[in-house]
Order: sequence, then structure tokens, then C-alpha cells
Amino acid sequence: MKSKIWFGILGVGILLGLWTAFRVYTVGFSLYAKTDVLVWTLPLSTYIFFSLTSAGLAFVSSIPVVFGVHRYDIIEKRTVYLEIAVLLGSFVCLILHIGSPLKVIYIFLSPNPSSPLWWLAMLYHVYLVALLIAFWRINIGKVSKPIGIIVFLIAIGTSTTLGWLMGMTDARPSLNASFFSVYFPLTGFGSGIAALLLVSLVYEQLRGPTGSDKLAELYNELARIMGMIAGVVLILFLWRTIVGGISSTSEDLRAFQHMIGSIPYHIELWLGLVVPAVLMLIPQIRKTSRGKIAAGFLFLLGMFAGRLEFVLSGVIRPLGQMTEGRPEFVSYMPTAYEVFVTLAGFSVMLLVYTLGERYFNLHATPEQR
Amino acid sequence: MPRYAMVIDRQRCVGCGACSIACRNENNLSEGVYWSHKITETSGVFPNVRFHYLPTLCNHCTDAPCVRGCPTRAMHKAENGITMHAPKKCIGCRYCMINCPYGVIYFNWKESHQFWKNKQVLIPEVTSSPVEETRKVGGTVIPYYNPEREATLAGIRPKGVVEKCTFCDHRIENGLLPRCVEACPADARIFGDLNNPQSNVNHLLGKFKPFRLQEALGTDPAVYYIRDFSASNYPRTKGAV
Repeated sequence: MKSKIWFGILGVGILLGLWTAFRVYTVGFSLYAKTDVLVWTLPLSTYIFFSLTSAGLAFVSSIPVVFGVHRYDIIEKRTVYLEIAVLLGSFVCLILHIGSPLKVIYIFLSPNPSSPLWWLAMLYHVYLVALLIAFWRINIGKVSKPIGIIVFLIAIGTSTTLGWLMGMTDARPSLNASFFSVYFPLTGFGSGIAALLLVSLVYEQLRGPTGSDKLAELYNELARIMGMIAGVVLILFLWRTIVGGISSTSEDLRAFQHMIGSIPYHIELWLGLVVPAVLMLIPQIRKTSRGKIAAGFLFLLGMFAGRLEFVLSGVIRPLGQMTEGRPEFVSYMPTAYEVFVTLAGFSVMLLVYTLGERYFNLHATPEQR
Repeated sequence: MPRYAMVIDRQRCVGCGACSIACRNENNLSEGVYWSHKITETSGVFPNVRFHYLPTLCNHCTDAPCVRGCPTRAMHKAENGITMHAPKKCIGCRYCMINCPYGVIYFNWKESHQFWKNKQVLIPEVTSSPVEETRKVGGTVIPYYNPEREATLAGIRPKGVVEKCTFCDHRIENGLLPRCVEACPADARIFGDLNNPQSNVNHLLGKFKPFRLQEALGTDPAVYYIRDFSASNYPRTKGAV
């Protein structure tokens, strides 16, 4: 009965996404809270959230395959499968973000290697294929090291190229920083661990413990790493605020300075970084499943809000002739359709993952190497 | 090969907006899309206030960030220096809008010219619907449709892609000036070839110190501004403590 309700909820999320797709491609993107100024909003930030989480899961999955730390073998299958599920969620949001998705074929027919977006598109195509092959190999019990290395390198490529994507925009210094090419992979790694802990431990809570003491120890280790990442990210986050938001007098950074007072900024700072870091510092909390679940959930919530915060930092201040007749900063509130895109992304991700738990025996450990 | 550029003489510009209206007609622009636009601002403190008017359009940058960022080369440079856009290749990612420092690229969030597709009559048997009105004057989608625009670009750009000024490349091909240049009643817009030392634009750029928008970004814009207008005067003074 519980699983029927769960699939029903996910079905509703996917139906909302399909309804949004139908409306957006018949009526237009004016259904989103977009103007000529707010060109990138919630659907894109959700895509970035999923994309970086997927890259972070790839880093986790590379620990046993690429770096030979074999105690992580027991989570390899689940990690790679979750990576695929999260990547599919990101594709849903991306497809519903771009205006003419059927023309994506021109990425192959008319390539532009000077564009970070072109590189991202290329990398994602290879990434998905490599992940599917990697999972197929794991599913038959044979981990492929070459494929694992390819997945690892592509994950570095996607997460850092996303930083390049933002950093190339000289006109928007609030986005412009080589900073993001460091910040993205690191926060992605944290998000990947958080997502893995969250789904694994929630599953255990619902179905009862499925693993051994070794698995429990590994979850504790991952929780400790997640806590450390939250702490390091917190330091980077605060320095970004101090350098760009407080000490800088540059007019070009006023969009970011404006966002410092926003709700997404404070969610990322307090709920996403400070609280998880503190929770994971306390051994009594770190060792409990609920502590890890809470920290993982909050870290992901913070990252979700953070992705929205920096996307908005780049677009809320009109440039050039777009300033005509507009205030210095435009306000943003997502429409129902934009929320539906996000819900659809999460629903697809969770549906794919749930089916994996049901049909692929994700707690199995690959036997051969 | 020519390298086309425009000089805008701010002393001659009266801010009438004829350039923008002519551009709308020539390129069949929809509501909310401005290939030719302006930036207005005021300076001073009331009652000592002054109004400033700066006409704007695509700068057709030599090192155009929109072109660098476009994943499919939909946004590209023509040999004559014009930054062109191919809607059929545009995936609608809007990265060009993010990259453009001048805010001159527009996205078609919905079908263009929605007003003129309305079949509803305001007063039955008295007024026409917008669709009837268009049909009666022999227009296509809009009453003032200009079919000449189709020579190098979709006459009306579809939803889901971006669009921007093309320096009226379809007119230049036929030896005509861009429509905004032709329509300017004050001859404040001067168009020409930077590669021709004798062109009017080079003549003006040699005579007056020009400025370009956001030059520090290194995009090398092809739209230059010269002079400024002020009819006011003030008593000679050294100020006071």
C-alpha cells in the first residue's frame, strides 16, 4: 500500500512535468516567471543542482574503482545507479529550460568548441553512455576500471565546465569567477555524499537494515567527510561573501551584494552549511541514522537554494538597454510551472531510483574486479 | 571585404525614436522586442536636472561574447563584421543573452505578434478583429509585414529562439543603408565601412574622439558614439567653499 502511494506521488510529479512541457511548447516560455532580464531561473538552477550532485556521486563511485579503496565496493552499485537517476532528473529540467530542444542536433552538426555549453553537451552525451555501461558491468558483477576512470574524468569535466560556463560571462561579474570551477566540484562532492546517505538510510529506515556493520561504518565515514566538506565550503562561502559582497566597491558586484540578504542565500548558509557541519561534528549525532539523514537533507536543501542564489545573482541586475524602464534589481518569484519542472525532475530521479531498488538489487557488491 | 560600423552623433540626435519605429516596421518586430532602443538617464538634483538619451542597438562586436558562447554557431560573425543569427540552429539556451554586456538580445518567450492573431471582435458588426484587419490590408500575420526581411532571416522569428539587430543586412546586400539610418531625420546615424579609409565613418572617427559602450570588456564594438549635445551655458565660476 505504501509503495502504491509513493508511486502515485511520483506519478503526479511526472504528470505535472508533462503538463508543463505541453503548455510551454504550445503557449510559450512566458509561463515561467521570466522576462528579458530573468533569462535563467529555477529550472536551470535545478538542473545545475542535479548535474553537480551527479558529478559528486561519480567522485564517490570512483573511490573504489579509480583509487582502489575497496571498502567502498559495497556501495558502488547503489552509487552508480543513483548517479544515473540524478542525471536523468537533470536532463528533465534542462529540456524544459531550453527553448527549442529538438534543435539540439545542431550541437553535432554545427559545433562551437569555444562555447562551454557545447563542451557540456558533449560531455553529458558521453557521460550517460559511460554510466549506463558502468552500471551494466556492475550489474553482471564485473566492475570496469577503464569505464570508471572515464566516468571520473567526465565528472571532473562537467563540474568544472559548469564553472567555466559562469566564468565566461565577463559582463556579469557576480557569476564571473574561476571560483566556481573549484566551488562546484567540491559542493558537488558534498551533494553526492548527502544524496547517497539520504536515499540509502531512508531506504533502510523503511525496509529495515540491509547491510552489515561494515556498511554502517562506511556511512559514518561518509557522514564525517560530508561534515568536513560542509565546513570547507562554509569557509569558501564566507570568503566569497567577504570579497565580493562586503569589501568590494565594484558596481558590477551589486547583484551579488543584493542577494546576500535573500532567502536562498540564508538557506544555503545556515541550513545547508552551518547546521550540517555542526551536526556532523558531534559523534553522538553523526553515528545515528537520523542524524545523518537530517544532515544530508539539509546539505542538499542548502545546495539547492545555493544554486538558485548564484543563478539569480547573475541575472537580477539588468544590463545595457535592458535597464530602460526597469529598477536596478528585478525581483523573482517562481511560477507554478517552474515549480512543476523542479517537481518533475525530482519525481523522475526518485522513480528511476525506486525502480532500481526494486529490480536491480542495489545493495549487492560487485564480485569481480 | 568591408567591416561595417555605425557612428552615432549625439549632438545631432534629438531622441525622437524614429530609428526604433523604422526598425520595428522593417524587421517585423513583436511587442517587447527592441533591436533598436535607448538608454535614458537623468543627472543632477532637482531643480538642476538634465536628461540624457543614448540610442542603442547590437554593437556587432568584433570579439562578440554571444558568438563565443553559442553552442551551435547559431550566433555567428558574417565576413562583413555583422553579428548574425540563424534561428534554425538556435536551441534557445539564452547563453548569448547572459553573455551580451549590452542587453540587446531578445528571446521569443511566446509566438510573436499575439495581438494580431486575435480573432475576437471588440464590437460585433462594427469593428474588425485584428486578424480581419491584417487580411484586409493584405498583410501576413501583421498588417505592416515587410516581406523583404525574409531575404536573409525568417520574416518573423519563431518562439523559443533569440533575435537581435542585423544592421539590416538584407538592405545592405542591395546597396541600401540600414533602415534606422535612413529614417533618422537628423542624420545622427552614419553607417559605413571601417576598412575604407575614405568612408564617412572613418572621417568622423578621425575628427572627433569617439567612445564605445563597455570598452573595458574588450569586445571591440562596431557602434561608436561621438559628441554630445548641450544648449545650456553657465556663468564662469571657480565654485565656493
